Amino acid sequence: MSNVKNLRTFPGNRIIWHAVIVGVVWLLLLLLNNNIDPLYSSYLALVAMYATAMFGMTILVGLSGQVSLGNGALMAVGGYVFALTSMNWETVPILGWQWNAIWSMVFAGLGGVLVGGVIGGLAARLRGPYLAGLTLGLAVGVPAITNRFPELLGGENGLMLTVPYPEGGYAATATGADLITDTGTDSSIDGTTDVAIDPNTGADESQYAELDLSQFDQGADPNAEVAPGDILTDGDLLTADDFGTGDQLAQGDLLTNEDFGTGTDLGIDGTDPGASTGTDLGTDTALDPTLDPTGITDTFDSGFIIERWQASMAIAVACLVAFAALNLIRGRQGRVWKAVRDDPIAAAVVGISPSGSKISAFVVSSLFAALAGAVFAQILSFVGPGAFGLGLSLSLLVGIVLGGRASLLGAILGALLLVWLPELVNGLSGERGWPEQVTNNAPNLLYGLLVVAVVLAAPGGITGTIRAWVDKARGKTRSPLS
Amino acid sequence: MLETVDLCVSYGAVKALNGMNLVVPQGEVTAVIGANGAGKSTLMRTLAGLVTPASGQVLFDGVSISGHKPEDIVRNGMALVPEGRSTIPELTVEENLRLGGLWRDKSDRGASKNLVFDLFPILGERANMRADTLSGGERQQLAIGRALMSNPKCLLLDEPSLGLAPLIVTQILELVSRLASETNLAVLLVEQNAVTALRVATTGVVLHLGEVVKSGPAAEISSDEELRHAYLGY
Amino acid sequence: MTNFIDYLLGGFSNGAVIALMALALVLVWRSTRMVNFAQVGQAMFTTYVALTVQQSTGNWLLALVVAIVAGAVLGVIVFFLVIRPVKNSDSTGAIIATFGGLIALQAAAGMIWGGDPQGFIPPVDNAGLEFAGRTWPISLYDILVLSVTAALVIGLTLLFTKTSLGLSMRASAFNPEVARLSGVRVNRMLISGWAIAGATGAIGGVLIAPVSSISPNSFDILLVFAFTAAVIGGLDSLIGAVTFGIGTGLVISLVSGYSDSGNAPIVALILLALNLLLKPDGVFGHHGARSV
Repeated sequence: MSNVKNLRTFPGNRIIWHAVIVGVVWLLLLLLNNNIDPLYSSYLALVAMYATAMFGMTILVGLSGQVSLGNGALMAVGGYVFALTSMNWETVPILGWQWNAIWSMVFAGLGGVLVGGVIGGLAARLRGPYLAGLTLGLAVGVPAITNRFPELLGGENGLMLTVPYPEGGYAATATGADLITDTGTDSSIDGTTDVAIDPNTGADESQYAELDLSQFDQGADPNAEVAPGDILTDGDLLTADDFGTGDQLAQGDLLTNEDFGTGTDLGIDGTDPGASTGTDLGTDTALDPTLDPTGITDTFDSGFIIERWQASMAIAVACLVAFAALNLIRGRQGRVWKAVRDDPIAAAVVGISPSGSKISAFVVSSLFAALAGAVFAQILSFVGPGAFGLGLSLSLLVGIVLGGRASLLGAILGALLLVWLPELVNGLSGERGWPEQVTNNAPNLLYGLLVVAVVLAAPGGITGTIRAWVDKARGKTRSPLS
Repeated sequence: MLETVDLCVSYGAVKALNGMNLVVPQGEVTAVIGANGAGKSTLMRTLAGLVTPASGQVLFDGVSISGHKPEDIVRNGMALVPEGRSTIPELTVEENLRLGGLWRDKSDRGASKNLVFDLFPILGERANMRADTLSGGERQQLAIGRALMSNPKCLLLDEPSLGLAPLIVTQILELVSRLASETNLAVLLVEQNAVTALRVATTGVVLHLGEVVKSGPAAEISSDEELRHAYLGY
Repeated sequence: MTNFIDYLLGGFSNGAVIALMALALVLVWRSTRMVNFAQVGQAMFTTYVALTVQQSTGNWLLALVVAIVAGAVLGVIVFFLVIRPVKNSDSTGAIIATFGGLIALQAAAGMIWGGDPQGFIPPVDNAGLEFAGRTWPISLYDILVLSVTAALVIGLTLLFTKTSLGLSMRASAFNPEVARLSGVRVNRMLISGWAIAGATGAIGGVLIAPVSSISPNSFDILLVFAFTAAVIGGLDSLIGAVTFGIGTGLVISLVSGYSDSGNAPIVALILLALNLLLKPDGVFGHHGARSV
């Protein structure tokens, strides 16, 4: 333990220490991801996505003290940039590097930084309520922009996007239960690495890019069984058909998921090795097994499962962002943000620029939000104004307040709550037979009441309150928001 | 009229008043003098109900008012003119005055208003102008006028000389002193400017670091050289 | 040119409603120095209450009166939710609490009345008036909306300038300590401010409902417009809120007329951003002189 303490005192070592923490958490999460039902993997993906965005809220709202309703809009920026870049530049290698998913993530992040910088510059001049109002305007106004440019941004219907799943090859090397037990973890880690870091898989990628293109080149598919927009209109974020693609991916058909979603399944029949998938997945019967999670591994254990891939991708992004956030918060910058939040004049006196500090908090949180938006776009295979509306922004605020405004752990707990509470309510509703309009609104009613209760009774949220108890037991006093 | 018994006030670990005993009789001006940080403003804020004492009592007309709300204390007949610009600049002179006695009957209010306009005729002339158009001295008159609108039995004046020319301060304080003797009003005056304060006061109290170091007839205090050097700095 | 005049005329009644919502925001700001982001949620909720009353009794006036009372009560409830964080000088928490209130109100409305937009039957005809040989973009109902708004604004102005309650409320807003030292029960004045704001918003909601239909989220955009108007007006000024509320309505009407109503939020956002960029404290607001 004393070694640990020494490590923490030197900035360089602190970074190593953070890397170790995040690395261990990452590994544990991947292990978890590969040993739970794919259904839970999809929840895990959502939790990781929310957490990514809320790490930014921790910095912006918690540390820097700026209430922003705009982070949902910034997620939209990331999501749309990801969608547009991954769609339009699919086969164009950038700087000779064809990993377009990564490029799209990079562009999404840049988009977030750019927009965040502009808003942050404006925000730094504003006091609390003005900033909240301006960002509220963003949350409502930005989705409206999509209607302004229907050709480019898809208007109200949004855009389907080609989720750049990694080449299914590695999944094929694993057979049966091996995928889940032995090599499952490895292959998934590899897959994650491929997406997030490794540029050397270009060869694999070109393969799917080619496939992609061939499919876009085909004429319209008269595949009647694929109902256009079916999945996405019923509001279920976790498209059940994802499960179905699992075994087909090994055969190189990476586009079933996307094709199904758009309903413009372009000539899969005839030319494609995955010929039958489109039709299969389009029928309800093909989806049925997915409703019974226990049946999934039996049915699809020969392939890699998209839920797991989505979760490992989302976890990768969340862990990288957490690592960055951890270093920022516990380093000099974190103290600067807190100093300006607590007393801007005193901070200015000791040479800190209050507006610079506020802008930097905004930019960092925008970057995180945009990355989360890109992850969200991949989870949904879709971006649209409805998915990134005021509700999303409010959710982020709810999560961060309930979890604990000024701590990364609070962000994670908040993300868990955001995903778990609706499920809990759904479960209860199923048992008690509540009417639909009660079930649909119960989570939000709970969120709203909980937020008010937390602000009134425990402003530090879950983490802040627990820490206050611990401090009290140790006989220390500290502000619940510090 | 007004009395404090072993009054103690703390801000956290800092004791601002430490066992203060004070008597403010009717019909005369009592001056509490002392340097910055002696606890003068704390005393006033405690008497007016803005600060709750840690221990001890405030007796008004023989009844304990410790812990009462400021709005109730003023309605009971003790009005504070706080330090600095205590008028509301966005309101007119007339509105500022009216504010001072809103809960009272209209006819009583009218009588008080006439009294104030008699005392400070300039306020009558400027009745419909916004308070932020007044000079510093006029604003201080307005603040005192507003306090008088509540028809107080006891008037608390916190540093009325702050930022005003000495001549104006003397004029205002002499008016207050006359008012005290004519209407049997108890006045507690808190001042850093000891010379002026002791000139109009009957009794003087020297406060130092939250404790009374000396009290007695004003003339006696102002002639005590030792006291002046030690606590009043002139 | 005819188009321009038509668009302009068509914007007045919407502008009046935006003005009422902006007024509600300003009334709250004046009493407690904070923006109540639940304001429009409260108005939405009370409009549903009014809808229920109207559907069961068929009496619009009764519905309006019930909404006003409900609005005042809701205003007081929300006041108690946010005043504690304000007193703990947790201003971030106070803002968040109003958003919590908004979320809860919208969910509660969805739970009680469902998520589908519902129509609200206007008490008088809402079709464009015909005279001088053409149909004008102003209906009898628009005239009613404008009259109610005008009456309310005049009433509020008289309340604040001529009555003891109004003077106490203004004093409490400007300087709570001096107000308390003058014998004003400041807490009651703050509550009155929130109640009056709630009632004002409730009137706005009932007035807009026949024009826009009502659903739990249908007033979200109104919050943005009203906030924009209130901020440009300086947040402190009743007259500013009314002027810029109607102004915002006219601008939106022009934008919707010449391009597309979907652009209105973007225009509002641009107006708001420009205003905040140029004058972070609004047009009618004045700097300094605020200790709260």
